[in-house]
Amino acid sequence: MQQGGGSETEVTWGDQQNINKFGRLNNRFHELEDEIKIAKETNDNLEDASNELILTDEEVIRFQIGEVFAHVPKEEVEGRIEQMKEVTGQNLEKLEAEKDSVLAQMTGLKKILYGKFKDSINLEED
Amino acid sequence: MASSSFSVSASPGVTERRGIPGAQFVEDVQTYLTQSGLDVNSALAFLQERLQQYKLVEMKLLAQQRDLQAKIPDIVKCLDVVATLQSKKGTGEGLITDFEVSEGIYSRARIEDTDSVCLWLGANVMFIHVAYHICRFEFLSVFMVQAATLLQKNLDNAKASLEVLVADLQFLRDQVTITQVTIARIYNWDVHQRRIRQVAAAKDT
Repeated sequence: MQQGGGSETEVTWGDQQNINKFGRLNNRFHELEDEIKIAKETNDNLEDASNELILTDEEVIRFQIGEVFAHVPKEEVEGRIEQMKEVTGQNLEKLEAEKDSVLAQMTGLKKILYGKFKDSINLEED
Repeated sequence: MASSSFSVSASPGVTERRGIPGAQFVEDVQTYLTQSGLDVNSALAFLQERLQQYKLVEMKLLAQQRDLQAKIPDIVKCLDVVATLQSKKGTGEGLITDFEVSEGIYSRARIEDTDSVCLWLGANVMFIHVAYHICRFEFLSVFMVQAATLLQKNLDNAKASLEVLVADLQFLRDQVTITQVTIARIYNWDVHQRRIRQVAAAKDT
């Protein structure tokens, strides 16, 4: 966070709290981006698995449970995959919603902080 | 991860959280320097060192966080296996699995309506249950439940520890931010003072 030289704008505890909050939100934003990326990958993998299931004519599928591949009947696997897709889908929605909220809060704080400190403060990603 | 509250961490009075010292908020730079008896350079040096110490603690906490985040999926996998074995109980069917013996090499095993479940507790330690034949079904069922309960408890503890750790990190980062801002303010204040002195000196000549 850069500051311009020599200006005498006072920084109150309230300002400091806003700066702290912005920092926390920014961290959370990056964490969310990573988590969303992983969730999307999981979703894609489950989608691929679903498609493979449709194509295969085997009755018993080797399905990963824990560290091993258990022999599970096709129907049960279909059920499990559907359920996993449901869970991942909901998780993804929740993460996206949180990300939007975090971004909105950051925008709000930027307005306040730039408003007071103008170019004495830099809140952009380098 | 549930979003923790982004509420205020250290207020001007709070000194520390679980061993992490709080950063003092400076209301007024001049007052701070006068009261601490430090000149600008000493104050900046002190704060820079504080920053380094915070960074060290942050690295330690991040490492702990990574460990916990790796542990949690492992426990979940174990719970999955126990749940699957539990659902097979009493059906008389065995469970056929392929497991990895070595990189890319798998072997097949049939797990009969199982007598015992072993929980890996750590290197060289294994919790082994020996099945008694008295009232076999009940006893074994109870044992499966015990395994699931133990694992669930471990999972809950890991998640709780992770929450505390995340809160620690948030507190720490707030202290880092406060310290960074204070450094910038003292530096700016000094630049401003020099300018004033320069202007005053120019007037005198």
